[in-house]
Amino acid sequence: MSGFHELIKNFSKTREYVRDFFVYGFKTREEFKEKSPRTYDNERRRLESWLRPYVRRDYVSNGINLSLAIDSNLLDSNPLFRVWKTKSFTDNDIILHFFILDLLMDGSRMTAESITAALLTQYESLFDAQTVRRKCNNYTKEGVLIREKKGNTVLYSIDHTITSWLKSNDSLPDALSFFQLAECFGVIGNTLLDQLDCQRRIFRVKHSFFVHTLEEEILLSLIQCMNQKCDVRLAMKSFKNGNPRTILCTPLQIFSSTRSGRRFLCGYIKSYKRFTCFRLDSIKQASPCTVSEEYDKLQELLAQNRPFLWGVSFQNDQGHRLDTLTMTIRVRLPAEHYIVERLSREGRNGTVTIINQSVVRYETTAFDCNEMLPWIRTFTGRILSLTCTDKSVEQRFCVDLQTMYHMYQIETRHQENI
Amino acid sequence: MELFSELYNCYYQVLRRLLCQKESLTIREISDYIHAEGFEESLLSVVPKIEDGTWNLFQKDGELYLSRLKSDFLMPLSSLQKSYLKALLYDARIGLFLEPQQLRELQHLLADVSPLFKQEHFFYFDRFSDGDPCTEESYRRIFRVLLTAQKKRQYVDIDYNSPTGNRIHHHYIPARLEYSVKNDKFRLIAVKDTNRHNLKLEILNLDRIRSAYAIEKFYPCEIDLNKILKSTYYAEPVTLHITDRRNALERAMLHFANYEKNTRRIDDSTYECQIFYNKKMETELLIEVLSFGPVIKVTGNKSFLKQLKERLQMQAEINAVSF
Repeated sequence: MSGFHELIKNFSKTREYVRDFFVYGFKTREEFKEKSPRTYDNERRRLESWLRPYVRRDYVSNGINLSLAIDSNLLDSNPLFRVWKTKSFTDNDIILHFFILDLLMDGSRMTAESITAALLTQYESLFDAQTVRRKCNNYTKEGVLIREKKGNTVLYSIDHTITSWLKSNDSLPDALSFFQLAECFGVIGNTLLDQLDCQRRIFRVKHSFFVHTLEEEILLSLIQCMNQKCDVRLAMKSFKNGNPRTILCTPLQIFSSTRSGRRFLCGYIKSYKRFTCFRLDSIKQASPCTVSEEYDKLQELLAQNRPFLWGVSFQNDQGHRLDTLTMTIRVRLPAEHYIVERLSREGRNGTVTIINQSVVRYETTAFDCNEMLPWIRTFTGRILSLTCTDKSVEQRFCVDLQTMYHMYQIETRHQENI
Repeated sequence: MELFSELYNCYYQVLRRLLCQKESLTIREISDYIHAEGFEESLLSVVPKIEDGTWNLFQKDGELYLSRLKSDFLMPLSSLQKSYLKALLYDARIGLFLEPQQLRELQHLLADVSPLFKQEHFFYFDRFSDGDPCTEESYRRIFRVLLTAQKKRQYVDIDYNSPTGNRIHHHYIPARLEYSVKNDKFRLIAVKDTNRHNLKLEILNLDRIRSAYAIEKFYPCEIDLNKILKSTYYAEPVTLHITDRRNALERAMLHFANYEKNTRRIDDSTYECQIFYNKKMETELLIEVLSFGPVIKVTGNKSFLKQLKERLQMQAEINAVSF
């Protein structure tokens, strides 16, 4: 492994490995079939280097299981942010980074030529003006430097107003400590905390899926497309068979599940004339295309459809437009009023009716009632009746229940009626 | 605006901190710092570059290394970071942290910056609808009292309405504020002294706290919250057998990614997953497992399995008369 480097140029390959180790955590070297064993060894070694405190090795019959043991209940930050801090750089990059910023620290405005000269006299570092100018322009693009033109002269400087404000307002690092875990793009908040030297252990966040951070680069591209109201070309990879495909769609909104940990892009596909959702973790690349003329109209259309979404499906397998599901639940009121509260707060656009002190009815209309089954099952033990205009939902619920009775040897009477 | 950029590289951060040191450093001190703050193998890449002067960021004086930078070196913010900050200003929860005057100042400083994202870009379709009243002043005041006290390990006099309707009044030491993305609610993880001078963990919903006042009493040492939390975990984890159909394996692995877990393959289509949990997580974990239906089978522990069977038994009894 003489060619091993801890830092990397490209994030996409690593993204998949980290996801596999974190999400699955049971694959041995032999089971990573898509890449060569050498690639696996390098990726594994990098992962162990970046995330050492969280790496667990389990010895199993067919090799070693490497996994990431990350219990978010016990962590104040997301360890996977470290993966974003691994971009490789050249020797010139790091020297110019520190010396140029140091030169301009005092508010000086300098040309690339004067910076080049000062690098030699003040820091004993010899660079050609073109290299320095390229770095300055690159940092201008990233917003780190300010570039202004005076006649034929280009001057570079730094504005520290915001950094100074952040340094003098102690409550902002508290906010960043919270938002890095609770909202998207948390890694950016985390880099700010790095820069302010203010990593704080003050918050825990539940139902925050650490693995989401790996999708943030794709998310950033999608949001930029949404802001520009332009179509996007998605390079996807199927989870089922691994096949690649390309899709052109109008990106409208990010749909996020706080329960399952899945995030989707909701887009409109012109050729099919329908809304479709794509999992963010299956999108490998998102490239902006032309501006969509009908963007605002599609947003309005989506807003009209949204009340009938249970999850991310705009149509069921039967091809029905809308289906109605009614469920009655057994409760003991008032002691079990929390069940009524659960139905109200978790039932999205459904209606909850207290029939009497022991029966509550929930009813809703949705595009695809199949998506509701996982939630309905959480009321197992209380479900008095379940009816749906999509009969396959009723059937699947009953069959699954029967299978579970059998699995756990639950005694049932009158099984033939179910 | 690049997210994967060397600007945020771990080496840059570690070196910046070393370069801001006013005192000269030995190579041993530099190495120790890199070992502590960098990645596992960073030492192998960084130290030789410093020693041989390829990265002439330090001035060498015999065995000592002195930074060539000014000690008040500040890293300016990138466009991406400014844009992120701007987006936070549109989130109502920022008011829990910043006073109106601070919000105005930051708004002013970021006047020319576009927010990185907006709330309307996202639709959390299964988030609970009864989130905390983060914009109410009384709620914000309690939040700030608890946050400040937590940082100082200061006792807080809390008057609390429990979910069962009881009114509880006690002195607590706030250990962490916990936010649930699903519930859109904050909870206080607090500890209180028992009569035996042990620390007992309590969890309080913030929107049920009627009043909170810091008192002039401080806990003398750091509270090892994780040690207390881990001590509450059951010795025996829940063991699940996941049958890989309906994409169950992938769904389960992501769904339970929040928990500390251990997974192994049993045969071609079955996987065993052990999940570590405590009593406070039990009901939520139980209904999460139930939501998967027959693609997940609980094989242990006994207590968890018993509760799951009880629910199924109740359902079977209802089926016998109702369905």
